[in-house]
Amino acid sequence: MASSALEELRGAARDHRSYIARWRAEHPGALVLGVMPMNYPRELAHAAGVLPVIVPDDLEPVTEGRGLIPEFYCGYTRNLADQAATGRLGQYDAILLADHCIQLLGATDVGRVLEPQREVFLGMLATSLSDSWADAKVRETLQQHRREIERITGTTIQEEALRSSIRAFNADRALLRGLLDARAAGSTSYSPVELVDLVASAQVMDPLDHLPLLREVIGERSEQASERDDRVRVHISGHLCHAPRRELLEAIEESGATVVDDDIYTGRRYAQTDVDESLPPLEALGHWYAQRNVNLPCPTRVQQEVDWDGWLLEAIERSGAEVVVHLMPKFCEPHMLYYPELRKALDAAGIPQLLIETEHEGIPLESFRTRIEALVERALRMRPAYA
Amino acid sequence: MTITTDEPRKDRSRRLDVTRAGGQLITDYWEDLFTAREQGKQIVWYNGGALNPIFQAAGLAWCHGEAFSARLAAQQLEGPAQLAGAEYGYQAELCSYSRTHLGCSVLTMGADDGTESGIVGMHDQEVLAAKLPKPDFFVNNYAGCSTGQQWDGVSFRIFGKQLPIFNVSHPYLWGNKPDAGYLVGEEWEAASTYVAEQLRELIAWLETQTGRPFDWDLLSESMHYIKRAAELRREGLELTKARPAPATFWDWIASVAPINFLPGDQQLVDYFQDVRDEIQGRIDQGISAVEDEKYRLYFDGIMNWNKLGFLSRKFAEHGAAVLAGRYIQNAFWQEPQLIDPDDPIKGMAQHYLLCPTNHGAKTIDYLTLRDCEAYDIDGIVFHSTRTCRAFTGPQRLLAKSAQDKLGIPSIFFEGDVADASFYKEEILESRLVAMLESIDMKRARAS
Repeated sequence: MASSALEELRGAARDHRSYIARWRAEHPGALVLGVMPMNYPRELAHAAGVLPVIVPDDLEPVTEGRGLIPEFYCGYTRNLADQAATGRLGQYDAILLADHCIQLLGATDVGRVLEPQREVFLGMLATSLSDSWADAKVRETLQQHRREIERITGTTIQEEALRSSIRAFNADRALLRGLLDARAAGSTSYSPVELVDLVASAQVMDPLDHLPLLREVIGERSEQASERDDRVRVHISGHLCHAPRRELLEAIEESGATVVDDDIYTGRRYAQTDVDESLPPLEALGHWYAQRNVNLPCPTRVQQEVDWDGWLLEAIERSGAEVVVHLMPKFCEPHMLYYPELRKALDAAGIPQLLIETEHEGIPLESFRTRIEALVERALRMRPAYA
Repeated sequence: MTITTDEPRKDRSRRLDVTRAGGQLITDYWEDLFTAREQGKQIVWYNGGALNPIFQAAGLAWCHGEAFSARLAAQQLEGPAQLAGAEYGYQAELCSYSRTHLGCSVLTMGADDGTESGIVGMHDQEVLAAKLPKPDFFVNNYAGCSTGQQWDGVSFRIFGKQLPIFNVSHPYLWGNKPDAGYLVGEEWEAASTYVAEQLRELIAWLETQTGRPFDWDLLSESMHYIKRAAELRREGLELTKARPAPATFWDWIASVAPINFLPGDQQLVDYFQDVRDEIQGRIDQGISAVEDEKYRLYFDGIMNWNKLGFLSRKFAEHGAAVLAGRYIQNAFWQEPQLIDPDDPIKGMAQHYLLCPTNHGAKTIDYLTLRDCEAYDIDGIVFHSTRTCRAFTGPQRLLAKSAQDKLGIPSIFFEGDVADASFYKEEILESRLVAMLESIDMKRARAS
């Protein structure tokens, strides 16, 4: 049975609006800012005394939004447009973006047109990270974000407040990363669904609320440590910007497999990198942004000297994963562009893989289950006979 | 079985004669590029804004990736490259420009004798009908589209991560500030300066790649010609407002390649002088571009290159003159007054930023409604360009705005830039007829 702390985190992950309402009640007059994935430095906004929420999709079917954005935009952005069209973005006092994704901008523009009273600020962090001027441009953009947050909130961001927010987010990420590392090392104390809920709740919650609950969960769960059995070991790859449907993760484990690592956004991609607390805060946030793509390369960035495919092979080596399941949100362009490089590298390494395209609604779960089972069978056949 | 490309019954279109000359210029350009290796030239592959004047001044041969994909599609020769891309792992929903171009890269790397000759996919030449030479380096200059840089980043990987690559980054003109607008505001000025600085970095980088000093005089000369050609193009676009229209969107589509990537020289100026003069001549002689013009339409979307001739005849069959579109009026050196040939970098940077997909919805709305009014438009045809999320993003908002603010109806039809499989003939036909009937009804009520 789940602990009350785990239940609370799961609740925030799956019903972010209730958490935001509670937070507002506890912080009268404080603003709630919606920030778009995947690289917004929430620490900046948090230091201004606001709740910066990485805007998640919700489980509502896309209705009104369908007429406002192309049907060949990804499910996440179609859901965002639908949230805008039906007033479900109303909980955010302003929207902030740092990422240049044309689908994300298109969905956000729907909200901007329909609800012009809500401010929307885009400060585009440089995508091409090998350029000699990229660091300076990133610092300049972060300064813009700082000024905008100060203007929107009417608050001057103090250096110590920013350092304090950085420490809070670092501590939260470090705990999450510890769980992911433990899983890669052999622990099965947490199911993939639980881990996604823990990370997704961190993306919504104030770290000052999230951290104590997470510590409580870890404290309780440490007494029930469990190790891997002989199920087929799976690495889950991809799924940028938003969480995969939980039932899909359940289907993987129900098919005789165990998830041992991932690089999804509601997983390791979110928690992989900390902000250097020894540097001046704004400079540290710039380093954090650049380092994120080194620590776990992202197909939305362009950097010649780092490879997602190379990272994936090393991650597989570390975790002992036997197969890779690519979870690709349908119409996700950067993922579509980079996927063949992953496929090529895994093929060369003899790692079986399966590509699953996900959608906001209408996931053909039974079809997926059959394909996952076939992948598991293939992995089992590849095991040495003496094992 | 559904036949998706029935020929229209009677050709009522009168395309400009001069575009045939433009076609010859383009053919000559590609033939020259195909032999660039033999001519001892270094070859750059690039995507996005028209950097060709810089490459021209650097003494390079240049290949615009999107243009090559469009050319293959226009010649119905995109199949083999797209198949190679699909076998490599690219999804059909990926941008068909990039899918086609990356397929060419895959073929290039797979050609066992390509390395020696520098010719793409020797074994596939017959079906490709293309002889694209391998690049010596890449330059990316993509604005608007958020996978433009990634496209060349992947090309870099397909070619074994051996070739140098340079990225020019473009801020998206979102319109954060109250003073933000088309060609105005702090955001516009800051972005212009930022991109101009990168262009100077690019030129220094090219000097390293070529081992030669950059020819600034040649750049000025090239931009002098391009500015003049762009002015003539704008004059021609102004003349197109006449009723009945002397030229159409399709004529301008046929003239995209010259303005987009041909060398800046007297030949380019002469071409657009001829375009302008032929349009003026038609006005003088009372010749319309569509026989018995009855409707004036706006086209929003990147061109469906597989169907250029077909669509021009199809709309004309209904008496519909397609006059304007975001891809024409708001692209391709469209603001020549920004270009100072003696100091061209900033004006060039600004044109790269003015890519019609690099604006927030508010600016695109302004441009679209402005042009609809200027061309006295009766209806809008939105090409729901399946694999181009950059162009299609604001289309639903534009349709609503045009209806609400100007009373202009619109239709959407499905298609794509370079993948014919997405084109749905029956959908376009039935929706077009319905919209034209609604325009008739509106006129009848008003009379």
